[in-house]
Amino acid sequence: MKQLRTAIVLVAIGGLLTTAAFLMAFFTAEVQQFGTVTLEQEVDTVFPVAPDQFQPPAGEGIAYVRPWFSQKIFYFHVPVAEASFLVLIISAVFAIRFLTSKRAEFDTKSRIAMETALVFVVLTMITGVLWTRASWGVWWEWEPRLTTYFIMMLMMIAYFVLRNSIEEEERRATYAAVFAVVAAINAPISFMITRVIPSNHPVVFQPGMASSNLLPFIIGQIGMLMIGYGIYTARMTEERLRERVEIAKEALEG
Amino acid sequence: MMEATNAELYRLVLTDAPYVIGAYAILWIAFVVYLSMVLARMMRLEKEVDLLESAVSKRSGE
Repeated sequence: MKQLRTAIVLVAIGGLLTTAAFLMAFFTAEVQQFGTVTLEQEVDTVFPVAPDQFQPPAGEGIAYVRPWFSQKIFYFHVPVAEASFLVLIISAVFAIRFLTSKRAEFDTKSRIAMETALVFVVLTMITGVLWTRASWGVWWEWEPRLTTYFIMMLMMIAYFVLRNSIEEEERRATYAAVFAVVAAINAPISFMITRVIPSNHPVVFQPGMASSNLLPFIIGQIGMLMIGYGIYTARMTEERLRERVEIAKEALEG
Repeated sequence: MMEATNAELYRLVLTDAPYVIGAYAILWIAFVVYLSMVLARMMRLEKEVDLLESAVSKRSGE
């Protein structure tokens, strides 16, 4: 049960790091701006007055910078999304190793990595939809990043449908491995799409990010990757137990 | 143009709060539920392995 202990430690440390990132997002990270709010007259407030180009004509009130509170979702939505891309690519790497070696252990590793990636993808979708609703006022928009990510999620679900539809073990593993590689091609496409096609979705990695924003993001990212590895390790331990059950059953029946 | 009070500015910011808190809560509830399910299955499998492997060793000892 050494692997289970490792998984629990990884998830616990990951949980602490992501919680620290969440708190830093509120207490130390620089507040981002999202548009302006025009009030009838000047008030005593901590919110800064908007630059001149956003000010209404004289006598028609005063514009204040609107703090972008929902941007705080960034500090856990993006780490979950990045982790989903990485784990999906790891699943494809195991799939390629299966195709080249035909060793069943790589099929198992690829399947478990795909399952872990799907958990992260679903959570990315949920946190993303909530951020979309808070920032854009709609629950969903068919813009490039959301659409490509949605296609990626559908392909990952299709991977499990495919597995369940084939009974013969080796054929199932081979088809699933090919499909895992095809599904993983979506990861770089979805990641890069906002840089190629104009999109409402923010481009995360770009120069000029304040260190007070970068630090909680990096801590959250490390924490999320540890949780991902912890989940993968726990599921692999479960699979090995399942294999031992099958071997013992066969020994008793034989 | 809005009524000129500081509270109005805070109210605008806080309309986003349920989404931020909801997103974080869903994330953690999902992780906890998923890992609890994995752990529960593992504990059941562990018991099954112990029973089956002791039965196998008894049979091979006979």
